[in-house]
Amino acid sequence: MECLIGIQGKDFVLVATDTVSARSVVAMKDDHDKMYKLSDSLLMAVCGEAGDSIQFSEYIAKNVQLYKMKNGYELSTHAAANFTRRNMAESLRSPRSHLVNLLIAGYDNEQGPSLYFLDYLASLNKLPFAIHGYGSLFALSIMDKYYQKDLDFDGAKDLLMKCINEIQKRFIVNLGKFRLRIVDKNGIQDKGTIAPQPIIAA
Amino acid sequence: MALADVCGFKLNEDFGNDYSFGTLPTVNDALKASLNFTVPAGVNLQSDVYSAFNDDSNNVKIHFEHGTTTLAFKYQNGVIVAVDSRATMGPSIESQNVKKVIEINPYLLGTMAGGAADCMFWERVLARQCRIYELRNKERISVAAASKLLANIVYDYKGMGLSMGTMIIGWDKKGPGLYYVDSDGDRLSNYVFSAGSGSVYAYGVIDSGYKWDLSDQEAYELGKRGIYHATHRDAYSGGIVSLYHMKQTGWEKISMTDVTDLHYQYAAEKEKARK
Amino acid sequence: MASASVLSEYKAPVSAHFSPYDFNGGTVLAIAGNDFALIATDTRLSQGFAIHSRECPKTFTLTNNTILGCCGFHGDVLTLTKTLAARLQIFEKDHNKPMPTASIAAMLSTILYYRRFFPYYTHNVVAGLDEEGKGCVYSFDPVGCYEKESFRAKGSASAMLQPLLDNQIGGKNQNGYTAQSLTSTQCVALVKDVFTSAAERDIYTGDNIIISVVNKIGITSEKFQLRRD
Repeated sequence: MECLIGIQGKDFVLVATDTVSARSVVAMKDDHDKMYKLSDSLLMAVCGEAGDSIQFSEYIAKNVQLYKMKNGYELSTHAAANFTRRNMAESLRSPRSHLVNLLIAGYDNEQGPSLYFLDYLASLNKLPFAIHGYGSLFALSIMDKYYQKDLDFDGAKDLLMKCINEIQKRFIVNLGKFRLRIVDKNGIQDKGTIAPQPIIAA
Repeated sequence: MALADVCGFKLNEDFGNDYSFGTLPTVNDALKASLNFTVPAGVNLQSDVYSAFNDDSNNVKIHFEHGTTTLAFKYQNGVIVAVDSRATMGPSIESQNVKKVIEINPYLLGTMAGGAADCMFWERVLARQCRIYELRNKERISVAAASKLLANIVYDYKGMGLSMGTMIIGWDKKGPGLYYVDSDGDRLSNYVFSAGSGSVYAYGVIDSGYKWDLSDQEAYELGKRGIYHATHRDAYSGGIVSLYHMKQTGWEKISMTDVTDLHYQYAAEKEKARK
Repeated sequence: MASASVLSEYKAPVSAHFSPYDFNGGTVLAIAGNDFALIATDTRLSQGFAIHSRECPKTFTLTNNTILGCCGFHGDVLTLTKTLAARLQIFEKDHNKPMPTASIAAMLSTILYYRRFFPYYTHNVVAGLDEEGKGCVYSFDPVGCYEKESFRAKGSASAMLQPLLDNQIGGKNQNGYTAQSLTSTQCVALVKDVFTSAAERDIYTGDNIIISVVNKIGITSEKFQLRRD
């Protein structure tokens, strides 16, 4: 039911997640933060099985930070994504695997912005835009049609709004507001929350 | 030179293994086994053991005590905790006077929903860990840390059939604290929580009457109302409403009211308002 | 396809059939009074429609002022009571005093919970005198959730006995009536009555009951005959 959206722009990556935390049919929380800061310019958005999501992402976050302490430099986005994938792959063949889907967004000086899509089966893809959850059924076609390389922030946000509005209109589950963050050369920045436009009766 | 070298930090194998509650050996000696957790070997805990006493074809039925309504909410003067007192095993009422608020220490409360034994046992383990923390650090554990401790412990047993949905309520340096921890290993913080089979009914009443600047009396009334209406609609909930107030000075027990008395009191108030 | 079939042939070793439990009947009843506590259990041991024994009491003496009523799966009853006896003996040798009733209840709770993932199928009630000499009863679910109560029926006929006790001892839901605390003699008479009724309607309860009373003098037991069919 959860929804993670990532869009890579010209010199940044925009990440948006829904803010609902649900137990069976009950929404326990409507301002849940599903993003984890891995380092100054690495951001991970997480959804999946309760408990697993927190435990797995905190494990990754702490180990990425530990790497920096041990070696004196940070992992690149590419390296962090592959480190996460390796852990996911090992967990998948363990007695009890983590059922977690992730987006990893980062900015480094060599590669610029990049966005990685990782699912619970440990398949990793570097993509210009990515969506996890049922929301992808409704929004991926919108992305395919309207996405352009070198989007600026307003362009990316417009595209995101198109996606969120479509999900609100067609998806039966109410995902409420979305939390926005971007990663660029200045690090991770909060862009507040946005609510989808209310549905107007035809 | 990296930060770890400057600090002289070395990774060691036992690191972070502090709260572990022993391993899970396969022990056949009953006396030894009575001192630690035991799991059967070569058996699937999820399906085999479960079906051994839940199958319809089996005349052996081990029912554990279940079913509950618990709620807690933050407001301007602290946190209100209200719970019912019924325990059921299958269709029969096992007890009408269960203590579902577990008094961990004077500044921490835990609530019970789901498997009664699971909550009772693990919150006792939590109480012990919190006390050890106090002795080691010469200050009280924060609500965030206490709830995380519990969440980490139950996460270790994920998939083995534990069932608990608990709220950890307290007061620390940051003020009032309210966390929801369940046996999936999830841990959330919010202003309003309700757990148990009657939680959906309690949410309805609390959400429609909740605001931050409730007076103490209004807040107590709202807590009682939430549980009363849940016991009215949910057959697994009932008995007595226990009400606690978490303040800066620690928790206080406010009241214990039989829901039967509440029923007639509310019915009379409704009738009076109609006239 | 070849690799897929190889994978599908791989299975973790599992037992074909797993049913290590049975139900051997039996009913336990405990009452706490001001200066005494009692446990009554029937002596029938059955399995399905077969009666294995008519002389199998389910009351166990734990210390000189604590007794246990334990029924359910007889195999687990034996293992549990032997374990308890050993633990209590170790405690007594270590501390040079018997374990108090409240501590026995707490210990039983953890012993039961340590088998959370493969439970003892037993219903337990502990009765005894507390440190002030007052009667107390602790009742347990199979995985160690426990509670201090003043009266409790467990086991096969518990659903018949408990409502009677609620009415006669608890005085529950009776407007304008408050329950009086009963004397030891009154309780024993009541126990005989309720068990006679249970034996009339429950196939797993019958033959005899053993009524064990704990008071400051010690533990006294009495046998009372029920229907033997």
